Amino acid sequence: MTLTIAALLPALQNTNGDAQNAQVLARRAGWAGIDARVVAVASREELPDHVDAVIVGSGNDSTLDASREALLTMHDELRAWGTEGVPILAVGTGWELLSWGIERPDGSVVEGLGILPGRSVPRAGRATGDLVVASPRFGTLVGFENHARDYIGAEGSPLGRVRAGIGNGRDAGQEGVVMGSVIGTHLHGPVLAKNPGFADAILGIAAGRAGLEYTPGPRAAAVDGYAAAAREAQLAAVRGAASVDG
Amino acid sequence: MRYAPAILVGRLTRFAARLRKPGGGSAVPGLVVNRIAPGYLKRTLSGFPQGLIVVSGSSGKSTTTKMLVAILRAHGVDVFTNPSTANISQGLTSALLEQADWRGRVPGQVAVLEMDEGHGALVMQGVDARIVTLMNVMVDQIDRFHDSDMVAGMLARIAARAHEAIVVNADDAYLQRLAAKAPAGVAVRRFGVSERVLAAAPRGLGYTETATRRLEQGDGVRVESVDGATAVLADGALSVDLRLPARGTHYAVDAAAAYATAKAALGEGFSPRTAADALSALPAVFGRGERVRVRGQEVEFVLVQNPASYQLNVDSIAPETEQILFAIGSDVRDPSYFWPTDASSLKRVSVVSGSKAAEAALMLAYDGVEIDRVETDLGRAIDDFLASPPPAHGVKTIIFSADAMRRTRAHLGLTGAE
Ligand SMILES: [Zn+2]
Repeated sequence: MTLTIAALLPALQNTNGDAQNAQVLARRAGWAGIDARVVAVASREELPDHVDAVIVGSGNDSTLDASREALLTMHDELRAWGTEGVPILAVGTGWELLSWGIERPDGSVVEGLGILPGRSVPRAGRATGDLVVASPRFGTLVGFENHARDYIGAEGSPLGRVRAGIGNGRDAGQEGVVMGSVIGTHLHGPVLAKNPGFADAILGIAAGRAGLEYTPGPRAAAVDGYAAAAREAQLAAVRGAASVDG
Repeated sequence: MRYAPAILVGRLTRFAARLRKPGGGSAVPGLVVNRIAPGYLKRTLSGFPQGLIVVSGSSGKSTTTKMLVAILRAHGVDVFTNPSTANISQGLTSALLEQADWRGRVPGQVAVLEMDEGHGALVMQGVDARIVTLMNVMVDQIDRFHDSDMVAGMLARIAARAHEAIVVNADDAYLQRLAAKAPAGVAVRRFGVSERVLAAAPRGLGYTETATRRLEQGDGVRVESVDGATAVLADGALSVDLRLPARGTHYAVDAAAAYATAKAALGEGFSPRTAADALSALPAVFGRGERVRVRGQEVEFVLVQNPASYQLNVDSIAPETEQILFAIGSDVRDPSYFWPTDASSLKRVSVVSGSKAAEAALMLAYDGVEIDRVETDLGRAIDDFLASPPPAHGVKTIIFSADAMRRTRAHLGLTGAE
């Protein structure tokens, strides 16, 4: 039994190394003694027969249309995975493309795939910096954000509350959106490495669906020590900038 | 003549800055002159008799600038150039003042400037360049340059200042699109690598988007082959053998860029032989694969500036290297964009250090690298690393970001530290 983790469109959707979250899941599974592989999917033909988890990273605005077209060919699969409970982590523009749509500053709209509720709308000025989120399901999430749009319509089911940073914006004080096991977030880069609890929750779901039991391995404990130090350093910087309790 | 008072003030400021910080090149005089004579920079840059050549892009501009200057000087051209740290407005003005006479005139027939892609568009406003050379578009310094579209846009604004020629990397899809929009009357010259060189680069060239087609022979200066620290360039039917300042395909690409630019600048006066000799005579590039003797041991310094150079440098570290210190400093605010790289070939790192030590250790661990120790205090990490017995294989190797490099050199009392 091998867990298959699909990284969708890593060539187009990997501005901040978000696609590496697939590698993080595979490594942690391996450390727990579970066989896992990462499959990079550039087009529908490359989709494996079966997937256990899916990662969609963030890309550039100039490639939004190209990415949307490629994702549209996998629309049926994405919809099916979402309903069946396959965990899908979508970051930045990857998330926006799975939403209802993306509004451009000139008023035109890139229609999304409608897998996640809400849509992204232009914001005044770019949101770049530390983002700390208190998530009821996944604990305190620490990372970076870098986006030019706000996200509205996720108020009913956010990933968590913003403790520092902008998140979905529009003074909602919220970040991300969750529908079952489909998760959209502005937390870019290796968010699952920095937040091992988040990674283990996703792996737990994937392993459970495959009839496997997931318990983090001993190597994970050592590596999570680095994650804890990195989180602490970032939280300290955030606390220094403003008064926030982690 | 009208700049004389400003120049005088600038020089006095420089003199005062020197008194405070001996040997220190300061941006303050430039700041002062820019303030009281805002047209000085524009006028001076546009005033070189054989014009201005600008080199920009995400990676390789510093090496290419040095190579180009060496080729032009070998042809007997009197060149003004900026130190790579002085590529924003104030620093550039200060660098000009270093050379200026009392009327503000800077000697030199031609100016060759390395231009930061972020500041370049601003510095170049109203400045007339003869030639603009663009190296590549890479995702780099995410907190400054949000994505590759933004970088490409900034490079397009710099390129728009060229009235004679733009010289572009034919393997970079962003730059090929940019070149396709060059106005009539502005020549487009190209450099690139052969299919064979690309095939031999295990991870490609590192550009955000690599062009699907290679340069045809005769359409520009093409890197035919790279073997260690030697390379062969094809200039039309002519084959040019070179020695590079260090191992690596990116140095060969830098050499091709410098060669193509010098050829564009010198026209009939260009000699392939002179260019090849000048390139081959360049000393090893500072900070990348630099060997130093410190505290009685051989140590190799490897500088990491962006994901592409990181990957190339990690790949070029000899596989038997058993003692590595890996230090990432505060200059890398968000290391996320380094994650697509693969450092698994390092296998084991003795110490991970620098203010981003934990982030760096996390990234290495997920690449499958064993880590013996994480020590945030860089000074202590260096002391302990150098005090440990020498390795049985290879030399002690320190991989660092620019900020960690400065701190390391300062800690070891090595010259070149700022
Ligand atoms: Zn990696």
